[in-house]
This record gives sequence, structure tokens and C-alpha cells, in this order.
Amino acid sequence: MLRTPTAWTRCKGLSLLATRPTWTRLRESAVSNIFLVPIAVVFVVLYAAPMGQSFFYSFTNFDGYSNDVKNVGFLNYQNIFSDPTMLAALGYTVFYALTTTVLITVFAIPLALIINRKFFGRNFVRAIFFFPAIPSVAILGLIWGFILNPLGDGVLNTVIHALTGLGPIPWLADTTLAQLSTVAVAVWTLTGWHAILYLAYLQSIPSDFLEAVRIDGANRWQTFRYIILPLLTPAMTVSWLLLMTNGLKVYDLPITLTKGGPGYATTTITQALIQDGIAQAQVGQASALAVLFLLIVGIVVLAQLGLSRMLEGRYS
Amino acid sequence: MRTPRHIWTSVIMIVLACLVALPFYYIVVNTFKTQAETASEPFALPTHLYLQNYANVLQNTTIVQSFFNTLYVTAISIVLMLVIGSMAAFGRIVGKGRISAIIGVVLVIAFLVPGQATLVPLYRMLVGVHLVDSLNGLIVLYSTGSIFCYYLILGYMRTVPAEILEAARIDGAGPFRIYATIVLPLIRPILITVGVFQTMWVWNDFIYPNVFISSPQNETLVLQVYTAVGQFLTDWPSFMTLTVIVLIPMVVFFVVMQRHIVSGLVQGSTKG
Repeated sequence: MLRTPTAWTRCKGLSLLATRPTWTRLRESAVSNIFLVPIAVVFVVLYAAPMGQSFFYSFTNFDGYSNDVKNVGFLNYQNIFSDPTMLAALGYTVFYALTTTVLITVFAIPLALIINRKFFGRNFVRAIFFFPAIPSVAILGLIWGFILNPLGDGVLNTVIHALTGLGPIPWLADTTLAQLSTVAVAVWTLTGWHAILYLAYLQSIPSDFLEAVRIDGANRWQTFRYIILPLLTPAMTVSWLLLMTNGLKVYDLPITLTKGGPGYATTTITQALIQDGIAQAQVGQASALAVLFLLIVGIVVLAQLGLSRMLEGRYS
Repeated sequence: MRTPRHIWTSVIMIVLACLVALPFYYIVVNTFKTQAETASEPFALPTHLYLQNYANVLQNTTIVQSFFNTLYVTAISIVLMLVIGSMAAFGRIVGKGRISAIIGVVLVIAFLVPGQATLVPLYRMLVGVHLVDSLNGLIVLYSTGSIFCYYLILGYMRTVPAEILEAARIDGAGPFRIYATIVLPLIRPILITVGVFQTMWVWNDFIYPNVFISSPQNETLVLQVYTAVGQFLTDWPSFMTLTVIVLIPMVVFFVVMQRHIVSGLVQGSTKG
């Protein structure tokens, strides 16, 4: 006898519904756990095990090869704070994270307000500002390396020389200028991206609401300060969180632009960690830096979440 | 009445946008020039169609190989992380047991761990299993992205009415069938969004290839551009040409996927 699949499944479904024994539920729950196995494997193999190793080796003098691993207590951690290279890397990374966060916020919010208005060429402007966030930062770093080349043939120096007659400016060869140049290129790559993020939040503000505020006699600045800015606080906390954590993790841009130089002026924590742990196989030392880095990022994330709760509580 | 301000906004913003785009103009325009022209007239349009730089790059570099390497790593990694992430999200939705809850908490912690904190042990681990300097080794590393996928997919899956899954179950469909034939088609929009977002990460990534890949035949596109700086030390137009060729897939991707990139940005930032 031929039965249509629907009739068949309906029959089976009805019988299940009528007498569903507890073991079916148990089995279903066990089966649903099978779906969690792959991600559990990813977590154990690629997160938990390496984290455990980093933590363990950070208290040892492990050099990657010898079996003579000794417990050295907090020596590796102390070394970080007495090694000028490490201190330079910590200092520059924090400087980079803070300055990019501040500058990108300061540029992205006005940009978002402008590209939220209607004007001719708006889609073009949005796309162009957003585009630098699309290609690899490493490649953008290399491109800017040509533009900022400290030798006379860097195109920016050529232009400056043609306009003002000034000699070559050592954009990437002077300590301070190199640090500022990396920040400037980062601002160029990410301002449009964060402006689009703010724009998404701006667009959720009903326009008749802003219209009502205007009719009530609020001027432009008042509307921005007391209406728009508070409504943007969720966007700001998200944007700052991304900028701060990505800023602390930065690696591509300084290394492609300056190779971490001049000296150690633009060496980042990540670069120092790779040099120590992989190139020089000082696993103990690198592990201490990794654990410290994890703590810094963790503290920043928690502080940001706390701040965002506080701000959102105050404004809503 | 509204014209003056509106026009000024247009003019100023278009000029600013052109300034922002100037570095791209600079490198594209110089790929069609000889070295001498590049030095003397960096911003001028090329006087004639000079394609020697392109021929030079295509002949003297392994760029085609690198392109396929990058494509292979990106495609497999994205499929892998979408499967792992969506399976986990589905498991969390249907499984109400203790294991499911524990995994939920554990994944929050994993989400906060920066890749750098595990880099050195992962390197040693991959050396142990002979996956250093291997494209498959990169795929293993990128599978860490499945946790980000899991988060976004979980958020989206919570909006799928539970009745649909319940109805399928009553109809006798097992969990695997529900996952494959009902859940996956339903969550297609978020799979595309997350997929686009993660494609940009894997395709553009520099740190993993730079640390884990050493032989030229295993280079990804980004790594190849980086190592080519030494190769083309004095030949800037060739280097710029290589850069432009590598940028082309990203431009196409941007034009086709712009909407998804923006929605990924918004969803990724509100849930991430």
C-alpha cells in the first residue's frame, strides 16, 4: 500500500505526541549535545590548552627545547617591567590604542552626522570613506610606506617640496613622527568604518522626533549635545570597545609601515611577543607577556562594559 | 531655499572623499607608467597605455599560486566555521541540559581571549603535528573564528519561532534533519552576513600567514605583497602593480557585498 509521506509522518508524529516516554527526551538532549562537540573541540584544543600552557610556562624558564624546566616564580613578569624593549612596546601599544580611539571618535561622529544628511553624491562619499576598511591593513601599510617614504622620493615629501620647498621630512625615520604616522594611517583606514557604525545608530533616531525638538526651539548644538549625543552612547561604547581592543592587539600596520622602528619606537606588544616566543624561543618570557596582555585586554573589556552600563543607565 | 548649504556640503564632502581616495589613485595610476615617469610625475595620468609592469608581475611572481592558496584557505575556513558555529548555536537552542549551559559560559570566556595570548603555544602545537608552513595549518587556526560565528548565529536563531522546530519534531524529524533541512535555510541571512564578515578577516589576515608560513609556494596574497617589498626594492611601479592586482578581488567583493558588509558591521558590533 502506498502512503504519502505527509500522512505517514503525521501518523508517526501523533503517536509520539500521545506517548512520549522520558527516554526520548533524554536521548534528544544527548543528541543535541552532539551538536556542541565540534565547538567544544575548538575550545579545548585552540583556546583552553594553549591558554593553560601560556599560564604554566609564564612561571618557568622554558626555552622551547630543553627538558630542564625550572619554576622561576614571577621572574618573567619582573623582566617585562625592567626590559626597556618590553616597556617601549607596552608604552607604544597603549599610546596607539588610546590615540586612535580618541581621534577616530572625534572624526567619525561629525562624519556620520554629515553623511546622514541628504546631499548630492552622498552614496559616493559614504563608499569612499568606508572603502579603506576593506583591504588588508597590511597592504595599506605598505602603500603608505611608499607615500611617507623618508627618502626624497616618497611622494608626500615630493609634494611638500614642490609646494613649500622644504627638504625631506623623516615621516617614518623619526621616533615621534613614526609613532604619529602609524596613528594617522590608522585613522585614515578606520574613520569611515566607525562613521558607518554611528550612522546605523543615527538612522534609528526618528526624524519627526528631531523635528519636534527643533520646533521646541533647540538650536543645532543643543540638539546634538542633549539629544543626539546621548542617543549615540550605545554606539560609542561599542566603537570604543572595538577600537581599544583592536588597538591593543595591533600588529599589521606598524610592522608593514615601519617594521617596528626606528629602534623600538613602534614595536607593539604582539610583535615583541612573536619575536620572543617564536623567533628567539624564549617561551617562558613570551608566555608571561601573553598572560599580561590577556589581563590588560580583559581589564579594558570589563571597564568598557561597566562604563557602557553606567552611561546607558544615566541616559535612559 | 535649501540649495546653498546643501551644495556646500556636497562640494566639501566630495573633495574630502577624493583626498581620502588619493593614495589609491596614486598607486593605480603609477602602475601604467615607467619608473622614470613615476619619479618625475607621480600624480599625472599615464601618457600612454604602458602594461609592462603587469606583464612583469605576472611573469616574475607566484601571484597566481598565492591567489589560489588564499582562495583555498578562505573557502574551507569559512565553510568550517559556519558549520561549527551554526551547529553549536542549534545545540544550545535545542539542548536545555547542563552541558549546554556550561558550554555557553565557557564560550563567553573564549570570546574575550585575544589570538595573541595563545599564539606561541599554538605555534609549538602546530610544529608538533607538522602543520606549520601548511595551508591546512592556517585553516586549523582560522577555525577559532567559529566562536564569533556561534555568537551571531545564536542571536539570530533566538528570533526563529520555537514552534517551527517543535512542529518539525512532532512530524518525526530527528535533530540532524531539522538542522539540515529547516534551520540552515531559515538562518541563511545571518550565514551570509557572518560569512562575508569572516571572509574579510581570513582573506586579509596578515599575522597568521606571517608567523606560520615560510615557503613561497604556501604564501597567501597579503603575505606575498609583504615579502615582495624586498624583491622589488627599487622597482616601485612593479610593486604597486602587485598591490593593485591583490586589491582587485577586494574591490569586487566590496562592490558586490557592500550591503552585507555594512549589516555585518552593525550586527557584529551590537552583539559582539
